[in-house]
This record gives sequence, structure tokens and C-alpha cells, in this order.
Amino acid sequence: MATDSFLDQQIVLDHGTGARLSRELVEFMVGVLGDVYIGEMEDSAMLPVPAGNIAMTTDSFVVDPPFFGNGDIGKIAVCGTVNDLAVVGAEPLYLTLAMILETGLPIRRLHQALVSLRDTAKEAGVKIVAGDTKVVGPGEADGIFLNTTGIGVFHRAPKRMTDVRAGDRIVLSGPIGNHTVHLLSVREGLGFEKNVLSDCAPLNGMIDALEEAVPADAVRSMRDVTRGGLSAVLHEYAAALGRTLRIEDAALPVDFETRMAADMLGINPLNCANEGCLALFVDPDSVDSVLKTLRAHPYGERAVVIGEVTDRAVKAVELVGEDGKVSEIEELQGAELPRLC
Amino acid sequence: MSKVAVLTNDLQYDLVNKNQERIDAVEEATPGFSGFLNDMRERGHHVVHLQLINREDDLVAERYEGGRLPAQKGTKGAEILPVFLDETDILIEKNKDSGFYETDLHEQLQALGVETVIVTGMQGQICVQTTAADAFFRGYNVWVPSDCVVSARDHDKIRALDWLDGYCATVAPSAEIVSTLDETGELPRKVFRTP
Repeated sequence: MATDSFLDQQIVLDHGTGARLSRELVEFMVGVLGDVYIGEMEDSAMLPVPAGNIAMTTDSFVVDPPFFGNGDIGKIAVCGTVNDLAVVGAEPLYLTLAMILETGLPIRRLHQALVSLRDTAKEAGVKIVAGDTKVVGPGEADGIFLNTTGIGVFHRAPKRMTDVRAGDRIVLSGPIGNHTVHLLSVREGLGFEKNVLSDCAPLNGMIDALEEAVPADAVRSMRDVTRGGLSAVLHEYAAALGRTLRIEDAALPVDFETRMAADMLGINPLNCANEGCLALFVDPDSVDSVLKTLRAHPYGERAVVIGEVTDRAVKAVELVGEDGKVSEIEELQGAELPRLC
Repeated sequence: MSKVAVLTNDLQYDLVNKNQERIDAVEEATPGFSGFLNDMRERGHHVVHLQLINREDDLVAERYEGGRLPAQKGTKGAEILPVFLDETDILIEKNKDSGFYETDLHEQLQALGVETVIVTGMQGQICVQTTAADAFFRGYNVWVPSDCVVSARDHDKIRALDWLDGYCATVAPSAEIVSTLDETGELPRKVFRTP
């Protein structure tokens, strides 16, 4: 248990030099992570994995601000990587955790991020198996940056974009735009931060429940809708499939306050990053059971069909307006907003 | 005690004098705007000035040419323009766009029994919008006098007023607000239906 006097300290360069202060910091972190950490302090983790393929992914997290409503950089660092494993059909098992800390970071803030990371890892059922900590000088980072690399195993066939077919329905597991609006509001003090919270969540539990409830090929493929937003996901699929994807504006789940803020800021919810939302490509015959299962889960209560994959062999994403007019959704040249995860 | 408070935003030397467009826009609005504040004071309504104070450690705060941070605490640039100020007014410091963000504005308004806020000031598309939205979320009846909102560019002001009218506020000329208060003693609350 860390003492108050330790928590009241700040990160200094010696916390990253490998000497005594480093060791004390690592002991502190291992203590906070508790049984979520199963590393053995060897130079590599040695892990049992079942025979067959593994899924592996990595992600870095530089979210600004690092602490926000319904989440923080610790929670995102687990959710981002766990969700990337889960959407390809893998069971997330292990994470590594690398940190870049800026001198001056209050250890109490680090503690907060670690507690959140631990609790999210517990919820997701993953273990932290290895870690690394580097410390940089003032201005060389921004408080705390994290990287997690994840390993998952397959108990069922992997899901790929190319498995999607014409006629498949596009389902969203929840509202879009909230994470982005919340973060921008906290950054600038816009007044929306208490009404619109981040959707940050580990989605592997919901995906497991879904895969158990519906036939194996009911969900052809899925993506977590993160950086670049729904638009980026749809463009990725349109390119991979060589088809036109069409969504209905009226069906898009965008909260009133989020649309209000997006209108004010001049941003499009379609381009907003999310941290707890899935886009699923679903066999039309299984849509009802997919929706029913998603809606029975706390993270999928507002699941909805937003469109379909057409048989038009042109790579494009189209939006059907409330007046019935069809317009093309352009792919963004670059990220609309930086540091959202 | 009146249940109505006028909130002004950012009517400060550094912020008004940032560029000629802002200076011109404020000059044009000043006679009617300051007259409205006087009218409201004379009728016993509260006037609260939201004074932006930029913190040196706020990396998001906009810096002017040469890296100068405007509106720092204790500087002339942070002061409210005297034409808008009266000794009976309330001054509340804020560090971000919304006047409610990490300030005691809500607590002070509650202590005064305020139910209706009239949001004014500069700029329409930033601080007026965010303060009005924040007030709306907190349950206040929000009004915005269209001639007491200033933006450097007209189209920003027009867009901001449209947004306010559509989402969270009743937008009307200041004279209409005063006359409505004189005739009925209150400002009716507009109902916004969320989908």
C-alpha cells in the first residue's frame, strides 16, 4: 500500500534510470496492479498459449486531457487494445504496459491511472504480463503517455473485412461522438462535459455474449469505431470490399447534446473518435437476434441498424438524408482532431 | 430580489483590442449594449461580468503575436471596459470559455435566486454559446439579446444566434427583452424538445 507521502511526490528523472527510485516506482506500480499483474520481473514474459494462431496488436495513448469523465488514459489503454483484439474474434489474454512519464507528474495521478487500468483489465479479463517505464524531462512529453500491446487467442474463426457481403446490414452498438465532444469540452471548458461523457469501455464481454448467442457467421466482421470515427471505418470497408456502403442519416445514434456541441464546433459526429462503440456487419437474416443480444448488454443498449452494404461495385460511402437525397461522405485527408486516444 | 441576471462575457481590454474587427464590432454595439445594462440595473436585475483570466500554465489558452498571453490576472488588459461596468455589478473570474466552468457562478446565481440568465458579450460563437449552453443544462431559462452579442465577423455572430435560438435560448432584441420584463415582470421560458 503506497503511503500518502509517496503519493504526494512527483516523478523525477531517476524514476526511469533503473536504479533505486526506479525499483521503488516499479514496486509501487506492481502493488497497485495487484493480481492483474502476472509478470515475473524477467526480461521477457513467458506465457502459455493454446495451439493455433494468436492475435496481436499494439496501440499508443496520448489522450489530452489524460483524466476525464467516465475514463482516463489508464482505462483507454486497456480498452483500445482489448477491443482491437476482440473485434477480429480473439479472446484478449495478455497486455504489456509501457509508460512514458514526464518529470513533475504527480504520483497520485499515476496512481489514479493505474487503478483505472487495473479495474478495466479485471473487467476485460486480461493480465498485464510485462512493462516498461521511461521518464523524460519537462516539455518532452505531456504528463503521461502509455502503450499497450495485446495478445489474444482464437476459439472461433477470425473475422475479416473481406467476409462482408452485399446486403449485409451495418449495425452500431451505441451512440457516436460522445467521447470526442466530452474531451473537447474538458479541454476548452465548453459546458458540455457533465452532460456528455466518454463512451470508453472494454467491449470484449459484449462481443463474447454476441458470439455465443448468434450463428457463427451472423456477424461477418466488426470494428471498434475509434480514431477517424464511423466515416473512417466505413471507408476502410468500402475500400476492402470494392463496394458502396450506404447509411441513413436519420438512423445515426447521436445524442441531442452531442449534436448540439458538434454543430457549435463545426465538427461532424461521423468523423468523431469513440472508445466504446462497435460497427458490425451483419447477415440480414440475423439482424434481429444480433440487435436483441447487443441491447441486452449495458454497452449495447442503444444498438441500431444504420445502413447496408450495397451490391454497387464502386468504393464509396453514401449518406441518405432525411429528405431522401443521397450524398457521398468524403474520406478525410487527415485527422479532424488530435489526441483523442 | 430579481430572478433575472445579465451575464457578460470577455468585455476586457486585451480581448476587445485584439484586432480592428473586434474593436469595430464592440464600438458599434456599445451604445445599445451599455444602455441595456443600465436599463437592467435600473430595474433591479443583476449584472454579472464573466472575466476571462488566462493562466500561464494553460497550454490551450490563445497567445497573441510574440507569444504574449493576454488577460492575465492583475493586468490592465484583464480589466472590464468601464463603459460596461458599474460598482453594483458582480465580477466573476473564469479561465475557460464557459462562465460556469470551474467557477462559482452557478452557486452565486443560486444564492441570488436567479432563474433566468440573459447571456451577452464577446464572442458570440465561443463564450456566449458555451455559457448559454452550460446555463441551459443547469436548468436556467436562457435569453440572448441579439444586439448585445459581439463577434469580429458578422457571419460568426449570425451562425451563433441561429444555433442559440435552435438549441437552448430565446433570441430577441434587447429592447424587446426590456419591454417584456416591464409588461409581464418575467421572461417566458422556451420549450426545447429533445429527440
